Amino acid sequence: MLAFLGRRVLIAIPTIILISIFVFGMQKLLPGDPVLAMAGEERDPEVLEYLREKYRLNDPIPVQYLNWIGNALRGDLGISLRTNQPVLELIGQKLPVTIQLAVMALIIAMVIGIPAGVLSAYKKGTWIDWVANTVALSGLSVPNFWLGIMMILLVSVQLGWLPASGYRPLSEDPIQSIKTMLMPAFVLGTAIAATLMRHTRSAMLGVLKSDYVRTARAKGLSERVVLVKHALRNALVPIVTVTTLLFGELLAGAVLTEQIFTIPGFGKLVVDAVFNRDYAVVQGIVLCTGVAFIAMNILADAAYRVLNPRMKDQ
Amino acid sequence: MNATPPLLSVQDLSIRMGGTKTNLVDGLSFDVGIGETVCIVGESGCGKSLTALALMGLLRTPPLHLNGGTALFDGEDLFRLPETQRRQIRGGRMAMIFQEPMSSLNPALRIGEQIAESVRRHQGASREAARTRALEMLERVRIPAAEKRLDEFPHQLSGGMRQRAMIAMAMANDPSVLIADEPTTALDVTIQAQILDLMRALQSETGAALILITHDLGVVAEMADKVVVMYAGRVVEAGPAASVFHDPQHPYTIGLMSSMPSLGARSEKLVTIPGVVPSPLAMPEGCRFQSRCPFAEPGCAMRPVFTEIAPDHGVACLRAPLEGTLDPGLRETGT
Repeated sequence: MLAFLGRRVLIAIPTIILISIFVFGMQKLLPGDPVLAMAGEERDPEVLEYLREKYRLNDPIPVQYLNWIGNALRGDLGISLRTNQPVLELIGQKLPVTIQLAVMALIIAMVIGIPAGVLSAYKKGTWIDWVANTVALSGLSVPNFWLGIMMILLVSVQLGWLPASGYRPLSEDPIQSIKTMLMPAFVLGTAIAATLMRHTRSAMLGVLKSDYVRTARAKGLSERVVLVKHALRNALVPIVTVTTLLFGELLAGAVLTEQIFTIPGFGKLVVDAVFNRDYAVVQGIVLCTGVAFIAMNILADAAYRVLNPRMKDQ
Repeated sequence: MNATPPLLSVQDLSIRMGGTKTNLVDGLSFDVGIGETVCIVGESGCGKSLTALALMGLLRTPPLHLNGGTALFDGEDLFRLPETQRRQIRGGRMAMIFQEPMSSLNPALRIGEQIAESVRRHQGASREAARTRALEMLERVRIPAAEKRLDEFPHQLSGGMRQRAMIAMAMANDPSVLIADEPTTALDVTIQAQILDLMRALQSETGAALILITHDLGVVAEMADKVVVMYAGRVVEAGPAASVFHDPQHPYTIGLMSSMPSLGARSEKLVTIPGVVPSPLAMPEGCRFQSRCPFAEPGCAMRPVFTEIAPDHGVACLRAPLEGTLDPGLRETGT
């Protein structure tokens, strides 16, 4: 398994280089001048020139890229043009918040989506299946921001069960942190749960028809053992694939959800950086997201090998 | 029948597809004695496998359902037992092996665990004891390097070994009835004989009865004490193997036997039974074989009564017992 992981990490390197070139190239193609954005009202050509020199924006583009990636490898993603903070520090502050949101949302999505999918496949064609499908469709159709606002109105304002804002880092005040994250994670998780439920259902429907499920029943095993140990285990491979893909949706959804619940996470950082043409920050964020995505895929590959022993010999 | 009551006695078993008016399995009856081998023979789609699944209580696809009948097993009617008690019997005193050993084994679980879980379930054995039993079973079905195989996955085994593992799994709880649904059909011919030998050996060791479902008359000749010939969901002929083989009475049985290819000069074309099995949606009244039968007559529009024409040998045909003279006639129409 270690050799396999090592190989996968090596294979990921060219992908990361490609992502970095792409990220860098896109930035250069965007209209607008970061120096103008930085200088604000100042239009003195000498000042602008000074800033260009300072941030080495006059170098040829390939040189700029090599500078950037060289520094990135040393852990230096540059300095935010707007706040003058190192990008890595900014990301380091915001990323854990978004990861917490994403992980909690994913847990909620799995806890709801997978059992609902299993049950709805098992009870196919009955009212349980019908209810699960209808709820899932509603979950998919209801926009995040609307659900977020409604939940704030109901849970925070009316019932006063959970705070609508006031995020505290997990390390400082775990209970308060989880409490404030619960609603945003739920809002973010439900849409994912619906997709996950639909995929779990279809994967289970396929597996439940298989001969080995019949064999498991022929052994006199209880339906619970048949469903979980024999059927779900084999249905998990496509579920893991979908979950990995949903991770991207989760990050995109996090941007919006963080805005609604005023969570100081990655999402706000991205939006601010894009609007302010804060090149270094955008580049750093996209690079980090890309690496996170690749890491998720490597984890998924590792999970496949655990779930499907046939893949080990290939 | 014998003086001792049969171990399993199936009476009037009918299985129907919801929304249709025809029974896919219609009034099937047969007995299985202790340690006996009963072969159920017939073309694909004649209801053999449905019968096996019904006996195991595995008819799960919703439109298919039991439409009457009893199956007395050790004095209890299987079809009237609550599900929890059936689960107790299933995989315990009554076990089943299937046609496709690859798809019938769970690809994600180790061979040892797949055998052991059944032992734990039915004998309440500890993990350790169940694993020991699994190893013992793998050795008994003569899987080479059994110890190593315990921790392997199905895809690491050859087809023959997989079927041996299936047999080990089914026999792990010493069932008194083993149902084998086309156990050798998916295997190479050389492996087929080995698997049949193994099943026979295990049967004589444990005294288990065997219900062998097959379309292969060679297998029947090799294994059967008793033969039940099915056509389109009904028993057309049943009796001791020797009697059915030497003196087949139903036109379908005769056709089945003459369509077995044999070695020799290939001057003649293979004998086939003309026509096709009627669809369950358009089953004829009366004898279901009449559309393909060379001896059909107006009386065949009534359902033929299953009559005993020799000791324990019965046939459902108006013309039975057939005179020997009819035999050449069939050959003519067959070619």
